[in-house]
Amino acid sequence: MKINKLLSALFIFSVLLFNSCSNDDDGSDNLPKGAYENGILISGEGSGAGTGSVSFVSEDLSFSENLIFKKNNNDLELGTFLQSIAFNDSKAFIVVDNTNTITVVDRYTFEYEGEISEGLSGPRFMTIVGNKGYVTNWGSTSDDTDDFVAVVDLSTYAVEGTISVGNGPERIIAKDGKLFVSHKGAYTTNNIVSVIDIATENLQEITVKDNPDELEFNSAGNLVVLSEGRTIYDADWNVIGNTEGSISTINTSSLEVDSEIVFAEGEHPSLMVVNNGDIYYASNGKVYTIDENAGSLSTTSIVESQGYLYGLEVENDNIYLLDANFSDLSELHVYDLGTQAKIETVSVALGASKIYFN
Amino acid sequence: MKKIFFKTLLFFVWFHGVAQNDSLVNRLGEVVIVSDRKLTNHSAGYKVETLNDSIIVNNLESFSALLRFNSPLYIKEYGAGGTSTASFRGTSASNTAVIWNGININSINNGQTGFNSLTVSLFDAIDIRSGGGSLEYGSGAIGGTIHLNDNLKFSNDELVSNQFIASLGSYDTYNSLYKLKVSNSKWTINAGLSYNQSENDYPLLGTDYKNTNGAYENLGFNVSGSFLLTKFSKLNFYSSNYFGERLFSGELPNPTSANDKYQDINYRNLLVYTFENKRLSHEAKLAYLFQEYRYFDDKASETFNFGLSDRYLLNYNVSYRLPKWHATVSSYSEYESAFGKTDQITKRNRKQFSQSFIYDQHINRILYFDAKIRKDFNSDYQVPFTYALGLKIKPLNHFFIRANGSKNYRVPTYNDLYWPGQGNLDLIPESALQSEVGVGYKNNQFSIDVGAFYIQAKDKIIWTPNGDANRPGVWVPINLSEVTNKGLEVVMSYKKNFNKHQLVLNANYNYTLAIDGATDLQVIFVPKNLFNGNLGYNYRRFSFFYQQLYNGKVYTTASNSEDFVIPHYFVANTGIDFKLLNTQNQQLKMGLKVNNVFNKYYVTQPRRPMPNRNFNFNINYIF
Repeated sequence: MKINKLLSALFIFSVLLFNSCSNDDDGSDNLPKGAYENGILISGEGSGAGTGSVSFVSEDLSFSENLIFKKNNNDLELGTFLQSIAFNDSKAFIVVDNTNTITVVDRYTFEYEGEISEGLSGPRFMTIVGNKGYVTNWGSTSDDTDDFVAVVDLSTYAVEGTISVGNGPERIIAKDGKLFVSHKGAYTTNNIVSVIDIATENLQEITVKDNPDELEFNSAGNLVVLSEGRTIYDADWNVIGNTEGSISTINTSSLEVDSEIVFAEGEHPSLMVVNNGDIYYASNGKVYTIDENAGSLSTTSIVESQGYLYGLEVENDNIYLLDANFSDLSELHVYDLGTQAKIETVSVALGASKIYFN
Repeated sequence: MKKIFFKTLLFFVWFHGVAQNDSLVNRLGEVVIVSDRKLTNHSAGYKVETLNDSIIVNNLESFSALLRFNSPLYIKEYGAGGTSTASFRGTSASNTAVIWNGININSINNGQTGFNSLTVSLFDAIDIRSGGGSLEYGSGAIGGTIHLNDNLKFSNDELVSNQFIASLGSYDTYNSLYKLKVSNSKWTINAGLSYNQSENDYPLLGTDYKNTNGAYENLGFNVSGSFLLTKFSKLNFYSSNYFGERLFSGELPNPTSANDKYQDINYRNLLVYTFENKRLSHEAKLAYLFQEYRYFDDKASETFNFGLSDRYLLNYNVSYRLPKWHATVSSYSEYESAFGKTDQITKRNRKQFSQSFIYDQHINRILYFDAKIRKDFNSDYQVPFTYALGLKIKPLNHFFIRANGSKNYRVPTYNDLYWPGQGNLDLIPESALQSEVGVGYKNNQFSIDVGAFYIQAKDKIIWTPNGDANRPGVWVPINLSEVTNKGLEVVMSYKKNFNKHQLVLNANYNYTLAIDGATDLQVIFVPKNLFNGNLGYNYRRFSFFYQQLYNGKVYTTASNSEDFVIPHYFVANTGIDFKLLNTQNQQLKMGLKVNNVFNKYYVTQPRRPMPNRNFNFNINYIF
C-alpha cells in the first residue's frame, strides 16, 4: 500500500488535525553544545507539524537535546521525511526523501559540511564502502521500474552513477565487496533481496517472503532479513487474505536462504535487530527475542510499547523503543534487558524512527 | 507569453463586436436578482462583510491574497499560488464552506475548497459570513461561509457594459479578465472570461534558490442570465467553468527536487425558476456540478492520481409573507445525489435529503429575528438535527445589537470513509454549537462592529496512527477531539470626503483562542492575533491604496513547542491608479502595485518562503 504516498496526499489535500500528548522535557541547557561524540542519535521523520530532525541523548540518558542540526546551523531545517542516517569515520549523512537530499554534517558537532542534492529521487537508506556511498532510491511514484541505487562520490558529493534494481529498494548493507538490498516494495510490494557486486555491478536476486525490510548480519556472518508479509485486498479494498511474514537467514556466499521462520497468518512483524547472537523483533507493538539459530518464534514478549512503536535498538544491556508521534515530539523508552524494567523516558524528535549510537 | 496576449485580444475583440450597441449608463430601474436568498434574507444577527469590485481588483493575483488582506480569515498557502486553505475563528479548513450562488461547493472527497482553484474576479461580489451556517448551507459551514455571487440586473433601457482588465507582473505573471453585461427590461446576460498565468519563480528570500516548479495557468468562463417569463416569474441560469494547472513548488532545503503537477477541472451549472407575488414566492432549482482533480507525481508522466465527483441537486423553496406580522415563513427542501470516485476509491453514491423551515419577523423595525430548524436524511450516516436563531436589535438610530446561536456539522469526507485500508465507516459527523453577540454603530461615514464568539466542537475527525485497535500501525481517521474556540472580532470602516479628496479605511482584527480539550493548549495553526487594514485615498483622477497584514505566531505541534512554530509576520502592499479616461461611457485606469513593499521574509507554511517585493502593472477599461 502506498502509505507514504497517501500521507503526502493527505498532507496536501486535507488538513490533518493532530491529537497529542503533552511534554516538556528538553534539558538542552545542561549540555555543552556540539559535543555529540558519546551518546545516542535519534532521527525523526518530521511531518506537517515540523521538520525532520535529529535528537541527541547522552550515553547515561541524563541529558538530551532536540533539533541538533537546526540549532547548530543557523536555523536551517532538514525537511521531510528524514528516513535514515549513514555514518563514516567523521561524518553523518542524513537522508531526507521528499526533498531528494542527503545533508552531510560532522557527526560529532553536527555542523553542516555539504549536501547531495542532485541525482537522487526518493532516497531511503545509504551505506558507505571506502569513499563511495550507495543510496537506495524509489524513483517516481508512478513508475515501478525506475528504482535504483545511486553511487555517490564522497569527495565531491556528486552522484557518479546509478545501478538499476527492482521495485522499492529499502535497506542497504555491505559485506565482502557486495551490497545487499531489501526490496520492501515502495508504493506497492516486492519480495526480493538484491545482491550487487560492487566491482562489476553484477546484480542477483534472492526471493524471500513479501515486503522485506530490516537487514542485519548475524554472528556467523549470514544475512538476516525481516519480511513483513502483506495484506491482500480485493478491488473494493476489502481484506481478502494475507501473505506470510518471516525471518529469513541467507548464506552470503551461496546466496541461498538457509532457514526461514514464518509468522502466523495475518501477523505482520516490523522492526528487527540482531545483537550478540540474538534476534529482536516486534509485532503488534510487542517486542520478542529469539536465538539467532532458533527454529521457531517466541511466544512471550519482553517489552511492550505504550504508543506507536516505530523504532527499535538493542545495545549493551539496554533495549530502546521509539513511540513515534507525528504531531509532536516522540518518546524514547529505555528498558533494562535483564530485568525488563523501564530505565528512562526521553522526549525526542517529531516522528522519531531510527536510533544510532554515536 | 505572446500567445496569451493574442488569445486575450481575440476574445476581447470578439466580445466587443458582439456588444456593439450603444452603452448608456442607466442607474435607474435596476432590479437585482438575488441568487442566494438565504444569505440576503436570513442573516439577521450575523456579521456579513462584502468584498466588492474595487477591492477584488486590488488583489487580482489570487483568491488567497484577496482574503488574506481583506477578510477576517486565516489563510495558509503551500507557497504562493500553491494549495491554499482558509479558516474562520480558529476552526479547521474543512469548517469553511464556499457557497456558489447558494450552493455549497466544498469537495466531497476532502471536504474543502482550494482557494487557488477559483477565479473570483469573475464574480460580482464576495460575501463573507462569519458564524455557523450549516442550517442554510449544510456540511462544513461551522466557522463561516464564503459566498461567490453573480448579481443579475434588469434595466428599463437596453444597457451594455464591458470591462477589460489586464495586468503584467513580476515573475512573468499575466492576468486578464473580460466581463460583459447586457440587460433590458425582459432579460439580462452576464458573461466573463479570465485567463491567468505565471512562472511564479520568485527568489526565496535568504537563500540562493528560486520558487522552483511553481508555475500556474488557469482559464475561467462564467455566464449567467435571467429571463422575465411573466410579471411574476423568471428563469435564471448560472454557469461557472474552470480549468487550472499548477505545478507544486518545492520546499527548502531543496526546492529543486519538486516535480509534481496538479490540475483542477470544475463545471457548475444551475437553473432556477422563481415565482414571486405579494405574498407567495416559489423557487425551484436544478443544479449539476462536476469537479475533478488530477495529481501528477511526475509532471512529465502521463499517469496521475485523481478524484472526481458528480453532484445533482434539486431544490424547492417556498415562502409565505404575513404582512400584518411583518413576518415570512419559508421552507427549503433539497435533494442531492453525489457520486464520488478517486483512483483509490471505487465510485460511491451518497444521497441526501434536507428539509428546513425558517421564520423571520421584524417588530417595528427595531427587533429583527430569524428562527430556523433543519433535518437531514443521509444515506451514509446520521446527521444531527440543526437549529439556529439570529437576532438584531436597533434600539436607536445608528446603533445595533446582534446575536446568533446555531448548531452546525461537518460530515466525514469520502477520503475519511473510504480510503483503501484506512477509511473508517464508523465515523459520525463533527458537530459544533456556536453563539455570538455583537454590538455596532453605523452612520454614513463610520461603522464598527465588535463581536464575541464561542464555539464548542466535538467529535472532530482526526487522522492518527493506531486509531483503530484492529489495524495496528495504520493511520485511520477517528472522531476524537473536542475543541473550544472563543474570541473577539472587530471590523470597522471609515469614509471621509472633503472637497475632491476621498479617504476610505477598512480594518479587521481578531483575537482567537482555540483550545484543545485534551491538552488545554492552543490548537495548531491558529494565530491568536490577526489584523488587516486597507487605506484608500482618491483625488480627482488619482488614487492610492495601502494594505497591511499582521498574522500572529502559530504553533505547529500539539504541545505548543516553541521549537516548532511559524513566526508572526507583517506584510504590506501598496499601489497607485490613474484614470486616463473618465467619461460617463468610458473609464480607463492604469495602475501600479507593489506587493510586499517592505520586502519582508515570511512563511505561511514551514520551509516555504512567500514572494519578496514584486510589481504589477495593470489596466482597467470599462466601456
